[in-house]
Amino acid sequence: MSPTSTHGRPTRAADSAGTPAAAAPGRGVRGGRPRGKPRSRGATVGGVVLRTPYWVFTTALALIFLYPLVWTAVSSVSPRAGTGQVDGWGFGNYSTLGRYQAGIWVYLGNSAFVSLLTVALTIAISFLGGYAFARFDFPGKNVLFLSTLAILMVPYATLLIPLYVLLTRVGLANSLVGVALVLTMFQLPFATFMMRISFEAVPRELDEAAMVDGCSSWKVLWQVLLPAVKPGLITVGLFAFLTAWNDFMAPLILINDTNRMTLPLAVSNLRGQVQGVVDYGATEAGVVVLALPCVVLFLIFQRHYVRGFMSGAFKG
Amino acid sequence: MATVEFVEATRVYPGADRPAVDAFELQIADGEFLVLVGPSGCGKSTALRMIAGLEPVDAGRIRIGERDVTDLPPKNRDIAMVFQNYALYPHLSVAGNLGFALKAAGVAKEERTRRIRATAALLDLEPYLDRKPRMLSGGQRQRVAMGRAIVREPQVFLMDEPLSNLDAKLRVSTRTQIASLQRRLGVTTAYVTHDQVEAMTMGDRVAVLREGQLCQVDTPLALYERPETVFVAGFIGSPAMNLIEAPLEDGCARFGETVIPLSRAAARAAADEGATAVTVGFRPEALELRGDGEGFAITVDLVEELGADAYLYGTAVAPAVSGRIDATPTVTVVARLAPKGVPRRGEKVRLRIRDDAFHVFSTKTGRRLPD
Repeated sequence: MSPTSTHGRPTRAADSAGTPAAAAPGRGVRGGRPRGKPRSRGATVGGVVLRTPYWVFTTALALIFLYPLVWTAVSSVSPRAGTGQVDGWGFGNYSTLGRYQAGIWVYLGNSAFVSLLTVALTIAISFLGGYAFARFDFPGKNVLFLSTLAILMVPYATLLIPLYVLLTRVGLANSLVGVALVLTMFQLPFATFMMRISFEAVPRELDEAAMVDGCSSWKVLWQVLLPAVKPGLITVGLFAFLTAWNDFMAPLILINDTNRMTLPLAVSNLRGQVQGVVDYGATEAGVVVLALPCVVLFLIFQRHYVRGFMSGAFKG
Repeated sequence: MATVEFVEATRVYPGADRPAVDAFELQIADGEFLVLVGPSGCGKSTALRMIAGLEPVDAGRIRIGERDVTDLPPKNRDIAMVFQNYALYPHLSVAGNLGFALKAAGVAKEERTRRIRATAALLDLEPYLDRKPRMLSGGQRQRVAMGRAIVREPQVFLMDEPLSNLDAKLRVSTRTQIASLQRRLGVTTAYVTHDQVEAMTMGDRVAVLREGQLCQVDTPLALYERPETVFVAGFIGSPAMNLIEAPLEDGCARFGETVIPLSRAAARAAADEGATAVTVGFRPEALELRGDGEGFAITVDLVEELGADAYLYGTAVAPAVSGRIDATPTVTVVARLAPKGVPRRGEKVRLRIRDDAFHVFSTKTGRRLPD
C-alpha cells in the first residue's frame, strides 16, 4: 500500500468538509442584509425570476459537494461483511476504530495537540510578521518576504527528509512538537501573506489615532489592530487547523511511535490491518471522525470568514 | 491650554529633493484658532503631523507651552487629533471610541463615564452611545471624531481637513459648529484645510503655505485686503483676484487706457529692481461698469447670476509687455456686479477699477511693492 493512495481518503474528507463554507458566502451575505432594509426583492416577479436559478444552482452545488460526505457517513453505520458491522445498522465500525491499538482518544488527542499548536504558532508568527511587513520599513524587507513565499516553491515531499535529519539533530524527531513546527513552517507563506494584506488594509490613521490617544506601539497593536485584523487571523487559523488536522505526510515521516500517531496516520494503518484485507467500514468511520471537527469549525467561523468588518469606520 | 511654537522646524521626506516643511517659524497663541491653508502638497498636513509627533522633525524645534516636544512620542504631547477620514475604532461603540483615550490614560471609570456623557450631550450623540461607527451617518461619525478629541480636554486640538468628507450643506453647518465650539472651549487649535472659504470663516488667523514655506500669517481680513505675495492674492478670495502684468510708464502701470498710478515707494522699488513691468491685482468687486472712454474694454464670455450678485467673466486685450510674445495676448478678467442689468455673453463692455482698490506686486519676485 503506497502512502499516496492512502492519502486520498483524508483529503477527500477535507474537501467535503469544505462544503458548508462553499455554500456559506451566499447565506452570510443574505443574513447580513435585513438590517434596516426592506426585503422587497423577493416579492416582485423580477425577484423570483432572478432568485430561482440562484437557488437551483447553489442547491445543486451543495448536493454535489455534500454527497461524498453523506455517503461515507451512511456507509460507516451500514452492514457489510468483513467489517465491524456485519449485520444490521449500528456503530460496530466505530468500536473497531475506538479499540484500535492505543485507542482513538489517544490519536484524537495527538491530532488535536498538533493542530492546535500549529494554529497557535501560525497565528502568533503571522500576526507579528504581517504587522512588521505592512507597517515598518527595514533593509532586506522584500528579500525576507520573498524568501518566506519561497517555501511554497519547494515541493513538500523533498523537504521532509532534510527536515527529519534536522529535527533529529535538535532532538525533536518522533515528537508531536516537531510535527507542529514543520506544519507551521509550511503554513507561513500563506499566513504571512494574508496577514500582511490584512494589516495593509487597515488605514494608518487608525494607528495614528491610537498613538495620539495615548497608546504605545504595543498597545496600538494589541488594542486597535488586533480587532481590525481579526477576520484575517480567523482565516489563517482555520487554514492552519484544516491542513494540520488532515496532514498525513509529515507525521508519516516524522513519527515512528504508534502511541504518537495522529488520526489520519492511525486510520490509514487501521485500513490494512488484517493480512492486507482492507476494512472499509472502520476506514469510513475514521473519515467521519476526521471530518467532523472541520465541519463544526467551519459552521462556527463561516460568518467571520466573510470580511466586511471594517466597513463604516472610515469614509464610504 | 497652551501655545504652540515652530522654531525653524523642517521636515524632509526621504528621497525628496526639497523639504516638505521648510524652516517654519510660527507661533500659535493660547486659545487661538489657526488655520493652515494651501494647495495640495504645500506641507500643511505635514506641519500638523509634526505638532502631533506623527512626523519626525529633521531640524529645528517644536514647543507646546513651555515644553519642548520635538523628541516626545505622540502619547506624551497632550494633544488630540481629528483625522480626515475620522479613524474611528471600528470594533468599539461610540462610547468606547470616546472613552478610549481616557482609558489609556487610566482615568477612573466614574469619571470616564461622566466625561463621555458630557461630551455626548455637547455633540448630540447621546442616542448613539451604544452604536458601532459603521451604523452611523457621515455627520455623526464626524461628531464622534470631534468628541474623541474634546473628551480628553487636551492642550491642543489638531484637525486635518475634518470636513472634507461631508456633503456641501453639512460642511457649512459643521463649520460654524466647530468654530463656535472652539471659541467656547478655548483650546488652542491648528486646523488644516485646502478650502480657502473654511480658512477665512473659521480662523482667528490664517497661515498660507506654498511648497513647504509660509507665505503669510495674518487675520483673514488682513490677508484679503493686504496680500503680501501674488500667490496669497490669487489663493485667498473666490473668485480669485485678477492679476495682470502691466508695463511701467512714468511711474504708472498701464492697462489698456487705464493708467494705474503707483505710489512713490512702489515706483522706486520697481525701478530699483530694473523692472519694466509690474503685476497689478484687483478683486472682482473692485470693478464697475462704465460707459465709453473710461476704463478698459472686455468681451463678455460668461455670466454667473447668483441672485445676490452676478459674476462676469470676460477677456481683455493684455497690455503689451516688452520681451514677452504671447500667441493670444488676452487676459481673463472677473468682475462682481449688481444682479440688475448684467451684460449678456458676447457683448463688449467697459470696466473701471475703483480708486485705490488695486494691489501692485513685483513681477520678478512676486512680492507686494510698498504702498
